[in-house]
Amino acid sequence: MHDLDLRLTRCFSSVFPDLSPEQVQTASVQSVRGWDSLAAVTLLAVVQEEFGVQVGLSDVSELVSYQAIHNYIRSHNGVS
Amino acid sequence: MNLIEALEVLKQPVPAGSPSIRVGLACGFTPLHLQTFLAAHLRQRMPGHGIEIVPGLFGDLAGNIERFASAKCDVLAIVMEWADLDARLGTRTLGGWRAENLPDILQSVDLSLSRIQQASRKSSGAVPVCVCLPTLPLPPLFATATRQAGAEELHLRSSVASFAANIAQESFVRIVSSQQLDELSSSAKRFNLQAELAAGFPYQVSHASAIADLMAALIQNPNPKKGLITDLDDTLWSGILGEIGVEGISWDLDRHSHMHGVYQQLLGSLASAGVLIGVASKNDAGRVQEALERKDLILPKDKVFPVEAHWAAKSESAARILKTWNVGPEAVVFIDDSPMEVAEVKAAFPEMQCIVFPRNDLAAIWSLLKQLRNLFGKSTVSPEDLIRMEGIRSGGALREMVTGDASSADDFLKNADAEIEFSFAKQALDTRAFELINKTNQFNLNGKRLTEAAWQEYLSDPATFLITVSYEDKYGPLGKIAVLLGKIQERRVRVDFWVMSCRAFSRRIEHQCLKQLCERFDVTEIIFDYQTTPRNGPLQEFFAAIAGAPMPAQLRVSRRAIQDKSPALFHRVKELVNA
Repeated sequence: MHDLDLRLTRCFSSVFPDLSPEQVQTASVQSVRGWDSLAAVTLLAVVQEEFGVQVGLSDVSELVSYQAIHNYIRSHNGVS
Repeated sequence: MNLIEALEVLKQPVPAGSPSIRVGLACGFTPLHLQTFLAAHLRQRMPGHGIEIVPGLFGDLAGNIERFASAKCDVLAIVMEWADLDARLGTRTLGGWRAENLPDILQSVDLSLSRIQQASRKSSGAVPVCVCLPTLPLPPLFATATRQAGAEELHLRSSVASFAANIAQESFVRIVSSQQLDELSSSAKRFNLQAELAAGFPYQVSHASAIADLMAALIQNPNPKKGLITDLDDTLWSGILGEIGVEGISWDLDRHSHMHGVYQQLLGSLASAGVLIGVASKNDAGRVQEALERKDLILPKDKVFPVEAHWAAKSESAARILKTWNVGPEAVVFIDDSPMEVAEVKAAFPEMQCIVFPRNDLAAIWSLLKQLRNLFGKSTVSPEDLIRMEGIRSGGALREMVTGDASSADDFLKNADAEIEFSFAKQALDTRAFELINKTNQFNLNGKRLTEAAWQEYLSDPATFLITVSYEDKYGPLGKIAVLLGKIQERRVRVDFWVMSCRAFSRRIEHQCLKQLCERFDVTEIIFDYQTTPRNGPLQEFFAAIAGAPMPAQLRVSRRAIQDKSPALFHRVKELVNA
C-alpha cells in the first residue's frame, strides 16, 4: 500500500473505527452508515490536518468517497 | 494533540466498572471537534475514568447553561464566543453592522452576560463550573479601523471582564486564563470562517485543541503541591557562600544576579499563600544563618522552615524536612542548581518532583517560575494557608513535649489554653473542608476522595451532616483542621469521611471529635466506613487504642468505649450551628 493510502486509511479508521482496511478502500457516503454531515466534517478536518491540504467550500460536496478524497489529495498536494 | 490523535485516544476502551465523569458542554456553536478534544484531553488527564460529554442546543448558550443546572452533570464547561452574546457579533447571521445598531448590540451583550451570570451562579451551587471567555477576534463592525480600539469595542471587552471578575468570586467557578491560551494558540490562527459557515463551528482545529486542553486542566483541578525545598548557593542567591562570604552573595541588577531575587520573590509569594518553604544546603550552618539574616533578602527569613545546612547528603536533609512538615514526598518540589544533587534526591524520593535550577539562562528561569506557579497554584488562599508555617513551627515543639510521659503531656495540654470550635453548619461551598477531604492522607478514615459534584450531591441529602473543626491554643491558631461527614441512623451515627490535618496531631482533637459526636447526636454507637490505606497509619493507631485490633471495614465503636478509652481532655469547646 502506498504512503498516501496508508495515511488516508488511518484517517478513515479514526473517524469510522468499525471499518476494516479493506472496507475503507471502498467506503462512500452510500456504503458507510455513520457517514453523516458531522462525520464528513470530522473526516475532512482530519484529512486536512494529515495532508496539509485546504479543502475549498465548493469542493466539499464532491468528497463523498475514499476514492474521491484520494484523488483530491493527489491533485492538490502531489502526494503519490 | 491533533484531531486524529484525539480520535485514537477515544478509541481506547475504558475498563469496565471505571468511574465516569459527565461534563455538560455549554456553547452556542456546534461543539464538533471541541467536544472530541475535550473528551480526549480529559481521558489523558484522568486515565481510568470514562468521559461523557453532553452538548447543548445550537445558538442558545444561556439556555444551555440554565438547562444543565438540572441535568445531573458532574461539571459544567462553558465556552462562549462573541456571537453567543449577540448573534450580530458573528458571521452566520446578517443582523446589521450599521452604526445605529451598536448601542443595541452593547446593551444586548450586557443582558446576555447578566443572564449567563445568573445561570452560572445557580449551577456553581451544585457542580463546578469552568468558563472560557470569548477567544475569537471581533468582526470588523466598528467605525474605527481595525488597528484602533474604539469605545464600543472597549465597552464590550470591559463587560466581559466585569462578568468574569464577578463570577470568579464564586467558590466552584474557574476561568480559563486568556494569557495562557494566547501562549498555546496564536490569535491570528484561531478563527475558521469556512467551518463556521459550513458547519457552525468557528475554530481552527488547533485552537479547539488548545481550549479543550485548558478546560480539561480546569476540570481535573489537580491538588497543588504543599512544600518546596530549595538549595541556597547559585539558586536562592548567586554565588557560593563559603567562597565569597555573606556580603558577596547577590540577587541584584548590578551584579547580573537579579533573577535570583525574582526567584526569592516567587518563593515569598508561594509562602504567603501557605506553601511550605524549606532549605537544603551543603554549607556551614553558622554562615547560612548569617546570610539569612541579611535585611535585603527578598524571601523573609521567617517564611523558611526548616533550614538544613550541613555537609550530609541532600536526601537526608529532604527526609528531615518531610518529617518536620509531616507531608509525603509526592507533595513536595526539590530545587537545586546541581544536577547531581537533584539526581541524588530523586533516587531517594522517586515521587518527589526534582528540578534543576537553570544557570545563566534567563528564559529558563522564567519558565521555571511559571512551572512553580502551576505546581502550587490554587483558586483561593484560605485563612489556614496563612497560618500553616506557624502551626508547623509550634507543632514540632508541641509534639516533642507531648511524646514524653502521660502526666507531663497532661500538664502541657492543660496549660495550652486550647479552644476547639465545632461547626455543624452544612455549607456545601466550604472549599477548605472539601480541600481537606481530598488532600489529607495520614489521619484519613478510608482514603476516599470526592469530586466536587459528589461532594455537593452528598451534602444535598438531608440525612447527612458536615462537621468542621477549628483549633486554637496559646501557641496560635491552626484554623480549620478536621472534617467529618456522615449520616444519622436512629441512635447511631455513621461516619463516611473523617480527616484531620497532620498539623493538628498530638492535641487529642480526635478524641474530642468522637465525644462531641456522641453528645451532639445523643447516640450509643458510631459506625465508621473504615479502610486501611498505605498512608493512614496515625488513624490506625488511634482506632487500635480505642477499639482494639484488628479493625473491620464496618468499624463500630460504642459510646462507652469512647468514654473509657479517651485520655483527659482540656479543650474549651464551642459549637456553631449556623455559621
